[in-house]
Amino acid sequence: MKLLGKERWALAPQRRRAVAVASVIACIGVFALDALLFRTDFYPSILDPDSSSGLFELILRREQNAQARGGANLVVTLGNSRFAYSVKVLDQRGLDQPYRLRDAGIAGSDPRIWYYMLRDLDPTRRRYRAVVMAMDDYDDEDRAYNPANEIKDLHYVIVRLGLSDAYTFARSFEQKQLQWQALRGAILKGIVFQEDIRAFLAQPLHRIEYVKLCNRDYPSWAYDYQETTRSMVGLKIDWSTLKVTFPPGADDGQRATVNSFLAHPVEPQTGSLAAFRRTWLGRIIDLYRGSDTRIVFIQLPRGPIPRPDGLSLKLSSSIRELASRPNVALVDEHAFDALERPELFRDGMHLNREGIERFSVMLAQEIDKLLGPPEQTKAAR
Amino acid sequence: MLFNTVHFFLFLAAALALFYLSPRALRKYILLGASYFFYGTWNYKFIPLLLTLTAIDYTAGIWLEKFPPGPRKRAVLILSLSANLAFLGFFKYYNFLAANLALLLGRPANSFFRDIVLPLGISFHTFQSMSYVVDIYRGQQTAVRNPVDYALYICFFPQLVAGPIVRARNFFRDLFHWQPPSAADVSRGLFLLVLGLAKKMAFADQFAKVANAYFANVPGNPGMLTAWSGVCAFGLQIYFDFSGYTDMAIGMAKLLGFHFPVNFRRPYLAQSITDFWRRWHISLSSWLRDYLYIPLGGSRRGRWMTYRNLILTMLLGGLWHGANWNFLIWGGYHGVLLSTERLFRGQRPVDGGWSLLYPLKALLTFVLVMIGWVFFRAANFAQSAQILSQMFSGRLGPMLLQPWHIELALVSLVLAVGEEMGDWSERLIAAPAPVYVLAMALMLFGIEIFGAIDASIPFIYFQF
Repeated sequence: MKLLGKERWALAPQRRRAVAVASVIACIGVFALDALLFRTDFYPSILDPDSSSGLFELILRREQNAQARGGANLVVTLGNSRFAYSVKVLDQRGLDQPYRLRDAGIAGSDPRIWYYMLRDLDPTRRRYRAVVMAMDDYDDEDRAYNPANEIKDLHYVIVRLGLSDAYTFARSFEQKQLQWQALRGAILKGIVFQEDIRAFLAQPLHRIEYVKLCNRDYPSWAYDYQETTRSMVGLKIDWSTLKVTFPPGADDGQRATVNSFLAHPVEPQTGSLAAFRRTWLGRIIDLYRGSDTRIVFIQLPRGPIPRPDGLSLKLSSSIRELASRPNVALVDEHAFDALERPELFRDGMHLNREGIERFSVMLAQEIDKLLGPPEQTKAAR
Repeated sequence: MLFNTVHFFLFLAAALALFYLSPRALRKYILLGASYFFYGTWNYKFIPLLLTLTAIDYTAGIWLEKFPPGPRKRAVLILSLSANLAFLGFFKYYNFLAANLALLLGRPANSFFRDIVLPLGISFHTFQSMSYVVDIYRGQQTAVRNPVDYALYICFFPQLVAGPIVRARNFFRDLFHWQPPSAADVSRGLFLLVLGLAKKMAFADQFAKVANAYFANVPGNPGMLTAWSGVCAFGLQIYFDFSGYTDMAIGMAKLLGFHFPVNFRRPYLAQSITDFWRRWHISLSSWLRDYLYIPLGGSRRGRWMTYRNLILTMLLGGLWHGANWNFLIWGGYHGVLLSTERLFRGQRPVDGGWSLLYPLKALLTFVLVMIGWVFFRAANFAQSAQILSQMFSGRLGPMLLQPWHIELALVSLVLAVGEEMGDWSERLIAAPAPVYVLAMALMLFGIEIFGAIDASIPFIYFQF
């Protein structure tokens, strides 16, 4: 049979090379198309504002725009949905107040997301007097989930990821499968945008109109938002049995947040939260190394009824460790203890309108106190 | 190891590299080893079964050639066919027959059940084996002397699990007169590989999500539009899934210097059911024609015998897909449709050209085929009846396909019409390098933004 014979390649070397080159160029073409659409402003400018990526970009744009007209004493705050303060209340303090607070936080976000937000929000590291980050607890208590394996982070920061970030970002996940998913997404962003693209194709004109509307009105929606007046009065938790007595008429959301955030069993302490915080908060601090911007941590009110300290054995306090680094400060961990009352919370983890109003005033006072008058702050450094 | 996984592409790259880098004398052994490795990654325990069938038909081929026409030769043929059908019957139809026997005896359906795993690709390689021995018996094929050659014909990895069903004469022509692939072959092979992957991941798997959700909960999805959209989703899924697999198989074979027959020619543009079966799973329909319909008498014994033969062939074709009454009904339904068309068409040839009525005829054929898919996909007859009643009565209900699904379907329709009229894929393959490269890049990009990347939806025909 000729398969065993001395046949020669039918492809002349040049033709073989041409086919090989064509295949390689086709693969490069995919990266080029991906870059053209997703690494420029072309597609990111029409992302669904309600998606994780779209919301991240909307907030980033809003805060970038605010920098120009915000004056010299801007303070940017970062946190998740629990870090809710009223900008309106703070603005009512008057323009003579030393610091103007801006909110670059996103519901469901974590320090990994904050890092990429800050990196692009403040590329010169000179735009803010301070970066305030809100933590649930200064101590590290591991919960049922490992924050390092939150793949939603990829969706939040996808527009911000450059090719040079792909490896580091992917390695920050602990599970191999998630590392692969993150690496793949960071290199070929179209994979991450699939759902958004399909939604766009379903109603392209509607999307474009909605993006325009959000670009125009989102700042006022966000900064004028008024939280509900509902409260958790009547909530009781028996910490020995974790049995919860809910307020009359408590809805599913209120029950779920109490059960997941407060009345949850003690999880094995693996150190994963501490490692995650050290990595990403450490990177944020490194970002501002040598800058005039101060890094400030605050501990949020822990809930309508805080979990007793002795319920779980907390092995470390990464935030306190980080506070020993230059330019980092902690607000007193008990600064907001007075707000830990059922009448000031709308569910098991979020403040209600009254809680937010009180918290806003207290927060501003704490920041003023910690940073001092603007001139002094600068001189002190 | 599914064709649409990273693992498979690593395997393919390794197989291609080993094949072309090894001395020529070793190449078919490399292919054979790769094929058994591929089969073994699914379930190595069935390799002895594959080897046994290979040995039986290899030996039968030699004996069939050795013996003169007569009872001994016929006995060898019957023995070989029986062995193939026995293996196929046991693994594929035992539980079906056992359940029906139990019902006949008034016992619980699972009284005689056995926990049987269906060996991968058994329906395909037994049909290849049978065509090989029948062709030798008929004197249309010479027996292969080297068992390695025959083993490679049976287990060649690009088409082992889901075809296309390759005739022995075509495969051995390529093997015995092997020529390294030309530049055009390599271009075509790569193009088909990427096109098939795009069909599978960007089209089939997206429609699969809709179809799977619908068929998993028919009572929870009432409504005429709901039922039609669920069924059409499956119709599109099975086409893109199977033709995507076939494109990949043909493309891989081309890269290795083998030439497989075309298995799909835009079946949803067919103008009649007869035309549909000339475009859908062509390697199976031509196998059924050559080894079943024609031996039954074909159309040579009068009108009624022709109808009988058509229905019988399609019934067995349906049963080939699986041990289930629904497959039998699906086959019978197509048999009846083919016979009805034959009744009205008489001796006139099947319409093939363009006419003003083409869109209407194609639409009617599409609708009839979709109705048939209900039986193919539904879990049982009761579910089929429920879906059919929903398709033709009651309120409208919600549309399951999203607008972007419709857009995907329209894009594929435009491409199919373009292919039918202008053979654009061949033009692209032969086009200047920049055009070819752009087409490949666009297909890969299509996979990136539309492909169901982590869905891991198996190819439908892998279960047959």
